[in-house]
Amino acid sequence: MQPPGQLDQLMQALRCLPGVGPKSAQRMAFHLLQRDRLGARKLADNLLAALEKIGHCERCRTLTEGRVCAICASSSRDPSQLCIVETPAEVYAVDQATGFKGLYFVLNGRLSPLDGIGPSELRLDLLENRLKSGEVKELILATNTTVEGEATAHFISTMAQQYHVRATRIAYGVPFGGELEYVDSTTLSHAFSGRKDF
Amino acid sequence: MPPLSRIALQNAYILHRRAYRETSFLLDVLTRDFGRISLLAKGARRAKGGLVAKLQPFLPLELSWQGRSDLPLLTGAESSSSGFKLIGKALFCGFYINELAHNLLPPHDPHPAIFLAYECSLNALEKAEGIESTLRNFELSLLEAIGYGLLLEHESIRGKAIEADKLYRYVIERGPIEASEGSELIHGATLLGLRQKRLSGAEQLGEAKRLMRRVIHHYLSGKPLKSRQLFTSTPNP
Repeated sequence: MQPPGQLDQLMQALRCLPGVGPKSAQRMAFHLLQRDRLGARKLADNLLAALEKIGHCERCRTLTEGRVCAICASSSRDPSQLCIVETPAEVYAVDQATGFKGLYFVLNGRLSPLDGIGPSELRLDLLENRLKSGEVKELILATNTTVEGEATAHFISTMAQQYHVRATRIAYGVPFGGELEYVDSTTLSHAFSGRKDF
Repeated sequence: MPPLSRIALQNAYILHRRAYRETSFLLDVLTRDFGRISLLAKGARRAKGGLVAKLQPFLPLELSWQGRSDLPLLTGAESSSSGFKLIGKALFCGFYINELAHNLLPPHDPHPAIFLAYECSLNALEKAEGIESTLRNFELSLLEAIGYGLLLEHESIRGKAIEADKLYRYVIERGPIEASEGSELIHGATLLGLRQKRLSGAEQLGEAKRLMRRVIHHYLSGKPLKSRQLFTSTPNP
């Protein structure tokens, strides 16, 4: 059998992108080579540069170019509030939606024993050091509302208790503009039991 | 080609769900009549009607699926109640029994008794009483179901009945032997307590825990259980 040519290799490589199957990979490869060679070079350069330069922030573990990310380095943010999220994408989501002015800590995962992810994989030691330093007054647990997210939140909250830091959990609820009849029963029961004074 | 099978509304619990491609989940499911199976929930991550909320561990489900292959497609999921509310340590224990079932139960091997034992364990964990003995009972039933049940009523060599105030050494795959010295000795009362699912006191619970840990370690061929880390590194408040 002949070894795969450069073109085949490129198509195969493109398939590492989410949602790209053999057909789209073929289309992308032909487009880049036939119509947009300049764009292809730019893409290649940027990919290489990004891979080399972007790493994890040494304070909050989000993705950043420098040693410390822009949020952690900013002086206008309140270091007494620390929001725990699972992925870097969620930092953006929370930041844009809420106007939260504190700092973040990104777990890059969640406790999930069946996936082989335990406390050590999440670098909770880094978080523990921050709690130890005493600058954090409130820990906001914004992990996902899955069982694993819940377990992660509980695990971190016991850690916070140890260092006498107040831990809060984001609320469960009915989606805005949603109709109760069509909300799934689990969400509705959580929303109901977590009702607030009005 | 194996025949197309269509299963409707089978009682099941999800042991684990993993994101698969952009919009799907791979599910590891414990069913009542078909044992532990894998299902592909196509498009479930973006589906409407709260499917994502239903496909969660510790929620009693009725699942429907069809397919010829080893990985049938999920075609429907109904949940009858709002699920077991496991909080804190009980939730970690839930992960532990899921991990045990995942690692020890061979796929496509029906064990209705295990399904019942699993349900009972979740029930007990939700009430958060007698967590340790709940776990021991589940471990015992699980081993029994896969054919590695423990010998707890009589000695393995002479066949003498176990006596509560004597000391024994448990040899894996053989059974208890009366012994007076050595490490890992177990009181007869603990063995009897395990058998009758009536363990009492810290000493019995501790002995039973060490015994079961050793036995499970043996049958997992030394594969570590990740959920144990959750207990060892949580400070006990």
